[in-house]
Amino acid sequence: MDGMAQWLFLAYFVLMLATLMWKTPVISGPWLFLLRAFFPNWKFFHAVGYAPRLYARTVAHGSNGQRIWGNWTLLYPRRTRHWWHLFHNPDTNLGLAQQNLAHHLGADINALPEGGDPGSLVTYGMVCNVVAHSMQARFPGCSHFQFELRMELDGPQHTVDAQTMLTSPVLPCP
Amino acid sequence: MPLNAAARGLEVLFGLSLLLQTLEYLRMDRAMAADGLWPWYLQRRDVPNRYARALLDRVFARPALHAQLLLRLVAVVLMVLQGSSLALVLFLFISHVLVLLRWRGAFNGGSDFMTLIVLTGLLIAQCMGHVGKPELGWRAGLWYISLQTVTSYFMSGWVKLLQPQWRSGEALVVFLNGAIYGPLPTGHPLVRPLLARAAAWAFIVWECCFPLAFIGPFSALFFCATAAVFHFLVFWFFGLNRFFWAWVATFPAIVGCASQGLL
Repeated sequence: MDGMAQWLFLAYFVLMLATLMWKTPVISGPWLFLLRAFFPNWKFFHAVGYAPRLYARTVAHGSNGQRIWGNWTLLYPRRTRHWWHLFHNPDTNLGLAQQNLAHHLGADINALPEGGDPGSLVTYGMVCNVVAHSMQARFPGCSHFQFELRMELDGPQHTVDAQTMLTSPVLPCP
Repeated sequence: MPLNAAARGLEVLFGLSLLLQTLEYLRMDRAMAADGLWPWYLQRRDVPNRYARALLDRVFARPALHAQLLLRLVAVVLMVLQGSSLALVLFLFISHVLVLLRWRGAFNGGSDFMTLIVLTGLLIAQCMGHVGKPELGWRAGLWYISLQTVTSYFMSGWVKLLQPQWRSGEALVVFLNGAIYGPLPTGHPLVRPLLARAAAWAFIVWECCFPLAFIGPFSALFFCATAAVFHFLVFWFFGLNRFFWAWVATFPAIVGCASQGLL
């Protein structure tokens, strides 16, 4: 390889570094979102910040028609590790996809215009469906549930701050 | 390592990566059903164009998607056994993009992106081979894949270096505690701040220096071997098995390109 190639190589990585410093306008759109795999940014686990978590509780109706609320339960995918998961791990990957969905719902709510209805979001409908399945699995026979999307800031030992971003209406279990 | 050996190594390892991904998708068939966790009828509103939506309705109907995944298995096995061809790579490329659309653009994040990069590299190689320049095609394809892979480590390292919480080691502990396999046990070495900081710095410095892999084949082998250990740890703590295979598949390209002597 000649010296020119070496300079191009160096210039490429300097340019990559520069992209971390320069703030450029964010281009967004439905097709860009769906085809984002064509534009990877490689920023994995880059910053600690508020992370979206889903909480849900069952809602039953007493004999007098009053609501009986269950305890809030964190719906966070936790799995047991096995060595063979290196080769086949669909359940864990599905859990990770569900967690990503919670991230997307948080981002979509943030992007809503003032007074926008979260219920109109695709991610809202999908999260409702995921929570409904999860509640059915955890509490067989549950008739209704409610969920919250909370933004939580974790420290090394414990959660240091939490804010509720969305509280759903009472929804029927499937 | 000669380029043809690098190309063959890439095809075999990448085939294994795609095979494992496809088997997982087939296993998740139930989740994609109308009464499953991830039904298309809810997600289809994401697609802004009604003609595209109507087309995808057909593509993502359960029997069609199932058939596509089974065909993909056959294509992968053919690629591993016989080597890639334009038709095989084109099919795998389109199939991968369709599966990504089915999962709202990405199922597993970075591993999907890296899989697409390898498929693009293979497509470059095959298209140029089709117009009579196979050696140049493979050279371009392998360089594209290796440069993107090295960029992934480089960017990932520098973006961490700019964050005070990564430099202190705190971010490493926070992410490990939030991982799918549960928080770190109380007696785990990384709970100790000094060790967490040392581990975080080791990862950051190693990732930032990854372009040095192109110095020569031994340097490339060193960086790729440590990368394999790194990805195994990422799998062990975060459950990201697809990351392991998606990145390991690119290592023959890195070693092959480094053997050509750039630096």
